[in-house]
Amino acid sequence: MGVVFHLGKPHASFAHSIKAGHSERRPGTKGPRVLIILPPMNDPIYLDHAATTRVSPSVAATMMRALGDEYGNPSSRHPLGSNASASIEEARRAVASSLGTRSEGVLFTSGGTEANNLAVIGFARALRRGKPGTPSGHILIGPTEHPSIRASAASLTEEGFEVEVMQLARSDKRGSLDIVDAAARMREDTVFVAQMLVNNEYGTRYDIARLSRAIAARAPKAHLHVDAVQALGKIELDPAGLVDRAVSSSFSLSAHKIHGPKGVGALVLSNACLDAKRLPLPIIHGGGQQGDVRPGTENVPGIMGFGAAIAAATHDFEATGKALVTARKALESALTEFVPGVRVLIPWSDDQTATMAPQVVSILVPGAPSEVWLHHLEELGVYASAGSACQAKKHELSPALLALGLTSEEARRVLRFSFSSSTTAEDCTEAARRMASVSSALAHL
Amino acid sequence: MSKIPDTILLRYGELALKGGNRNSFEKTLAANIASATESIADVKILRERGRMTATLKSNPERIERVANRIAEVPGLSSLSLCIPCEADPETISGLVNQHLLRMFEFSAPGAPRITFRVETKRADKRFPIASTEFDQYIAQRLPESLWDKLQVQLKRPELVIGVDIRTKGAYVYFGRTPGIGGLPVGSQGRVVCLLSGGIDSPVAAYYAMKRGCRVDFISFLSPPYIGEPTRQKLVKLVRKVGRFQPKNRLHIVPFTEIQEAIRDHAPEAYRTILYRRMMQKIASRIAFRNRGKAIITGESIGQVASQTLSNIACIEEASLLPVIRPLIGFDKLETIKIAREIGTFDISNEPEPDCCTVFMPNGPVIHGQIAHCLEAEEKLDMKGLIKNALDGIEAIDIDTDA
Repeated sequence: MGVVFHLGKPHASFAHSIKAGHSERRPGTKGPRVLIILPPMNDPIYLDHAATTRVSPSVAATMMRALGDEYGNPSSRHPLGSNASASIEEARRAVASSLGTRSEGVLFTSGGTEANNLAVIGFARALRRGKPGTPSGHILIGPTEHPSIRASAASLTEEGFEVEVMQLARSDKRGSLDIVDAAARMREDTVFVAQMLVNNEYGTRYDIARLSRAIAARAPKAHLHVDAVQALGKIELDPAGLVDRAVSSSFSLSAHKIHGPKGVGALVLSNACLDAKRLPLPIIHGGGQQGDVRPGTENVPGIMGFGAAIAAATHDFEATGKALVTARKALESALTEFVPGVRVLIPWSDDQTATMAPQVVSILVPGAPSEVWLHHLEELGVYASAGSACQAKKHELSPALLALGLTSEEARRVLRFSFSSSTTAEDCTEAARRMASVSSALAHL
Repeated sequence: MSKIPDTILLRYGELALKGGNRNSFEKTLAANIASATESIADVKILRERGRMTATLKSNPERIERVANRIAEVPGLSSLSLCIPCEADPETISGLVNQHLLRMFEFSAPGAPRITFRVETKRADKRFPIASTEFDQYIAQRLPESLWDKLQVQLKRPELVIGVDIRTKGAYVYFGRTPGIGGLPVGSQGRVVCLLSGGIDSPVAAYYAMKRGCRVDFISFLSPPYIGEPTRQKLVKLVRKVGRFQPKNRLHIVPFTEIQEAIRDHAPEAYRTILYRRMMQKIASRIAFRNRGKAIITGESIGQVASQTLSNIACIEEASLLPVIRPLIGFDKLETIKIAREIGTFDISNEPEPDCCTVFMPNGPVIHGQIAHCLEAEEKLDMKGLIKNALDGIEAIDIDTDA
């Protein structure tokens, strides 16, 4: 019950730890001078929802059931087992119904990275052409894909696949995909195309529908995989609405971006994919669970949490969209007003909702590299990230930022703020105000 | 921004032929469509002369999903996604061209031509151009870049460009999605279906629904010989096949006491037939309680020992209602094909036992005789066994997948 008590008071323990951190700030070290002008206490403002989100209390309560009394192995024949199995099926239906697909097309994975690996490697191998020794087929991937797509595609070159990268439209500063160029690259032996739906670094929303029409015309045997991790819960993810009906597709999802737990995600196969009897070949092997396509004893607590989170995140897109746009506009206008020298990479525009997602905003900061800005902001209780958090541990520049036309020097000065539907305009204005308090010191570093 | 479809045009199947009953058939169909789509979007259904329209009042981006869902509602021959526009010749032609250009944007040079025809319906006679002339009007104004991609063909074209001119504006649509045909569920009253967990019975239930019957499902379970996994399998089956009708109820009948009594007091060779006679008796009574008028089974002549003509006669004799067997002439492979299409095959194939496998006889009788059945039943407390079974029924209302 202790845990439930904590859940009843969201943010309490979090806020406490931040405050404690402030009072114990390294007394002997030379802190940045600007800290003097700070208000004594700052409630933290979390603007890094594209990296991860806080597990919602109702999701945690659902998971507690599986961590407590309902601990059965879903493959067991006794009631503890069959109850666990029923809970998994319920979560599978929740995921399927949020996408409008059939539940047998939902494969639970350990997260977005595994879902992407299973899609890229599993489908490419399933659709491989020719005999061993002959070319295996052609693969096209988007120019701004997550490393889990890029690296798994690269690994396939050893198996005789040819991997090609699409490009962004040169004429357009909004980061859109050059689909005419992509269509020209498509070939009769193209077996697999991967393109993310919402960019994790600057929020561009790619035109999957048009890309899928190009696939239907130019590479009709290819499977389209859509990394929808950043889009889940923010926009409708219905393969029937997003993808040409002639094209088989799959979508990867991750629970922890929508107030669910870490360590669980899904690869969702479209109805067109199921109708074509296309399944990815397994990349791990085991005891037959999930049709042996993704075996292993299911992560019951995680899957139940994912089911609860996705139902909550996808029940009212209109309200979510409004909240995100309000936050986005507040942040952009406050940054423009309070922080001189900041440039929003792709400014919000109400008539561009089809090409951009409101929940991710990246800015080019003046002077110091983003890393330095980040640490100053964290001292002020503002949590953001530089580029995408997944790559923060790799010391390489983001290909997505370079693809947008930024120089490598500029790419080091990009800060990313990202929202959830609970982010308020006040949070955003306050974040910009706090940022302003360090800007004169950092802008001229 | 290009206009997107917001309305689905729905064409009736056999319903169009039903003279006097048509009004009530249409009402039933409209209610079934509303029920099928309510969890997806706010859909307004209008009955018009000879057809219906379903218009999305919320979640416009879900129109494909709504259309796919409606395509599974019995009673429709086909449907089309319609883009609304002004009833003005130039506007309509412009919209058609814009859509076709988008459709053919990436078609490879030298690809074979797509055959098409324009199909205009002019309900509003104030529209200045007659239907057949307007077909030509549209065709003559196709953009030059599409001339080598399209070719007129009036009979069986690959693409139908539809124009529907009404008093309050026009609709443009491209192609038709087939419906499953049949009659609206509920228009033919209620039936009960014996659901075993095998491949056949869900397919039989599907055909009953397709012909307009509201199906209540009945399954027999023998705990502790048959466990919870079988029960979950039955629920999954109903969830899958039940999507063709608005509401689903599964009656789970406790069967252990009956099977044990038959094992202990009846000839071994007659066990399976006696089980099935009991099922008929109990199903008839459940049907009476629910205003059901027939019993649906998945039997097919000669498929297994209990389905020889004599054994079918022995079993049917126990029923108080007509027994309808939609699969009577089906080969197993034909049944499997439909089971795959309606998505029940993989669930039926899960290796969970059903109650007929309990105390399976060695050498079951192939040509059973009714007299022997009646004789065996005299040794059983039929009334008591049936009453206990009926008293122990668990009725589960099951939501289907949208």
